[in-house]
Amino acid sequence: MAGLELKQLLKSYGNVEVIKGIDLTIEHGEFVVFVGPSGCGKSTLLRMIAGLEDITGGELVIGDRVVNAVEPRDRGIAMVFQSYALYPHMTVYDNVGFGLKLARTPKDVRDQKIREAARILQMEHLLDRKPSQLSGGQRQRVAIGRAIVRKPEVFLFDEPLSNLDAALRVDMRMEISRLHNDLGATMIYVTHDQVEAMTLADKIVVLDGGVVQQVGAPIELYQRPANLFVAGFIGSPKMNFVEAGVDKVVGDSVTVSGPDVAGVPVAIPAGRLRPGDRLTLGVRPHDLVVAPSGTIVGRVGLVERLGNETIVNLELPSGASWLAVLEGDQILRRGDSLALDVDPGKALLFDKSGQAVN
Amino acid sequence: MTRRASILGGAAAIATTFVVFVIPFIFIVLMAFKDRQQSALRDFSWPTGFHLWENVAEVVKTRNWMMITAFINSTIITVVSVTLLVIFAAMVGYVLARRKTRWNGLIEFLILAGLMVPPAVVPTIWLLQGLKLFGTLHGMILIEVAYNLPFSIILYRAFVATIPRDLDEAAIIDGARPLDVFFRIVLPLLWPVTVTNIVVQSVGIFNDFTNPLYYLPGNANATVQLTLYNFQSQFSTAYNLLFTNILLITIPPLLVFLFFNRQIVAGMTAGAVKG
Amino acid sequence: MSVSVSAAPAVSPAPPAPRLTRRSPYPGWFFTPAAIVYSVLFLAPTFASLYFSLTRWTLFDSEFIGFENFAQFFREPFLIKGLINTVIYAVVTSGLKVVLGLLLAVMLTSQIVARGYLRSVVFFPVLVSTVGVGITFTVLMHPTQGMINETLAMFGIAGPGWLTDPNLALYSVALVDVWKGVGLATVIYIAGLVVIPRDYYEAARIDGATPWQNFWYVTLPLCRPATSTVITLSFIGGLRTFDLIWAMTKGGPGFASDTIASVIYKQYQAGFYGLSTAGNVVLFILIALLVVPLTMILNRKQGHE
Repeated sequence: MAGLELKQLLKSYGNVEVIKGIDLTIEHGEFVVFVGPSGCGKSTLLRMIAGLEDITGGELVIGDRVVNAVEPRDRGIAMVFQSYALYPHMTVYDNVGFGLKLARTPKDVRDQKIREAARILQMEHLLDRKPSQLSGGQRQRVAIGRAIVRKPEVFLFDEPLSNLDAALRVDMRMEISRLHNDLGATMIYVTHDQVEAMTLADKIVVLDGGVVQQVGAPIELYQRPANLFVAGFIGSPKMNFVEAGVDKVVGDSVTVSGPDVAGVPVAIPAGRLRPGDRLTLGVRPHDLVVAPSGTIVGRVGLVERLGNETIVNLELPSGASWLAVLEGDQILRRGDSLALDVDPGKALLFDKSGQAVN
Repeated sequence: MTRRASILGGAAAIATTFVVFVIPFIFIVLMAFKDRQQSALRDFSWPTGFHLWENVAEVVKTRNWMMITAFINSTIITVVSVTLLVIFAAMVGYVLARRKTRWNGLIEFLILAGLMVPPAVVPTIWLLQGLKLFGTLHGMILIEVAYNLPFSIILYRAFVATIPRDLDEAAIIDGARPLDVFFRIVLPLLWPVTVTNIVVQSVGIFNDFTNPLYYLPGNANATVQLTLYNFQSQFSTAYNLLFTNILLITIPPLLVFLFFNRQIVAGMTAGAVKG
Repeated sequence: MSVSVSAAPAVSPAPPAPRLTRRSPYPGWFFTPAAIVYSVLFLAPTFASLYFSLTRWTLFDSEFIGFENFAQFFREPFLIKGLINTVIYAVVTSGLKVVLGLLLAVMLTSQIVARGYLRSVVFFPVLVSTVGVGITFTVLMHPTQGMINETLAMFGIAGPGWLTDPNLALYSVALVDVWKGVGLATVIYIAGLVVIPRDYYEAARIDGATPWQNFWYVTLPLCRPATSTVITLSFIGGLRTFDLIWAMTKGGPGFASDTIASVIYKQYQAGFYGLSTAGNVVLFILIALLVVPLTMILNRKQGHE
């Protein structure tokens, strides 16, 4: 049984801090995805867990051991690299068996384990080939096979699908998901692709600037982002934002207004806000609906008609630009005025420091 | 039109290079076929008889089979020093390319210095005498290693930089210890540049004249380049034997040229593109 | 949910880690064998030469005489001659190798017939023994019985004493050096030329460039890395040259073709070890004085593009 615990984990190169004190608990068997923009420190954090980067400060616990100074081979982990990192001079069979060979596993046991991994990944017919004779997807399978065969407690994936084309990516995503179910091991997966994060994860860790922004189940992050960064990062197309101030507070509801919006009602637990508070209003493009008496009014810009939905670029009075994804085929003319409304339960408010209010 | 020009230009180029580059070699071969009298004329003429085998036999037997000794010595020096060069330089090139420390600047400076600075001959002799290595094959081998290390290291370092670091890391995760990473992953992948190194350095060391002249005096230790002085004297030079000798010592580089031309060119032009 | 959200580092102090760093996977001792051989047999003598060049030296004991050896080096006309010859030799050989090497390379990368043959023929001398080449050309350049002058005589030209004329000997040796070394310059240039993207030539052709403009404005600037490699390599080689001069003229006639390297050997043979070592230091300083600025100029111009 191997969960992980990160306690105030710190990494700096000289004076530059790239990981600024991260606390995180990962349960055994969980599928955790680290997501964030490039340079946010997600890969560095994964490499610290792998033991490929030294830990500058804090403590890393895998299972029940502090492993800060433990060599990667003794951490009970396996890793799949973005570049696959297959040994070019070895056959697939030897690539998969390399770790076992280093561990001096007897030849017959080794053979059996390699064939077992090949069977799981349906690549028995590839065992005699060299990596250069494989397609991208096949290489990815071999890289995963190399990880499986070591029977690790924790699998680490560093953007494993980003070198594959779109169709193959979907297949491999399902494959990895199946593998997680079958093996029941802990998996930590780094990606910048939020679709991968949303579909694979039990738990998503959003990172930015070397700091954890939010940890939670995918849908929780989507519906209740903790701050402006997470709100803007998760969800596609991106959430719309606008400056607003509180008009009045009535029970569990407030109405906010600003240069671009007039009296938008938002559901908020009582007592959190007072009239006059300056805020940022956030609304997802999918949550906007056409309403003749709507509180958000703008001029129609670019319109994309996709049949099942219509994507509208809305120019607000202040010049800000919002995106609305409207259901069905809407016939709109460029330059027309359009009024939209939002469900009070779906509109989000963020205070001046960017933290979510509701 | 351009095709005609290219054929004409080609013909002119072939003729010119033939006169400038090929005729001297034909001259060497012709001389090696002649008897002593005819060769003394030193002209570009057809040999009057076939004397190559006699000449070869005489060259080999001269001065108590010195040619054989010299070939053995040169082979030992070349093989051993190239082996050491490859191992030492691969190790340095690997760590130098992979590990960034504050010493890297100094090490790179020393490597460049080694390419530029002429060896201090007499102090080296003095030092070799102190180490009881002067005039020995061991000493000569170590000298060749020391003088040729910088070039080999540069070749290796440049090549290691093209091997993705991910491979090292994958191996480390797979449980490889530092020596496993080097010997099982990196060294096999260095094979092309190793071949280049072997070929380029073998030719250079086999052809080396200056260093054996200084550090390996004495007939017992002669190398092939020094045998050329067996047939030259101020009064009478046996030109047929001299050129047979030249022909004999040209054969090893010729074989290398025929089989490894590509690797030699690759090694010698490394850095031309990058500067 | 087993979640603990990040907190500011100040809130809970980081627990001390037992040992922070693991060992590098790239062992430092890999430097050791090379470092020992290189330091003992190359660096140590180089540093020792700085001292011994200031002594009168018999290998068994040395007497400190200050800069007397250097003073002598610049007093004796034949030693000064060696110094000047060294520079001339290096400039002539590297200059010719650049020009001829580039011309040959341009020719050999064009659509010319028999490219393989030409490339091999030009390159092969690089691999042949320098002493063998030297001896062969000494025979060919004999003033009366050499093939070169005999051929010239057939056209009614009285050939010069290539190696016997004191004004010519050094240049004759330099020519043979170019003969042997131009193949290396050529392959370096070929490597530099083939990586120039075809687009540049196509763009130039659309702009209406003549072949000469092509060469001058596209080829020449874009193969500058190759040029700087050829110049640096052949210039250093030229300054250090010994074996070819020794095989052909032994520095003669008189001291007409002596270079510093041949002077070092002659002084060593004569037993003037201190003086010989001073020659080494002079050569070292000469190389440093000429090559360091040279590479800096070559690299700076490169940066401008």
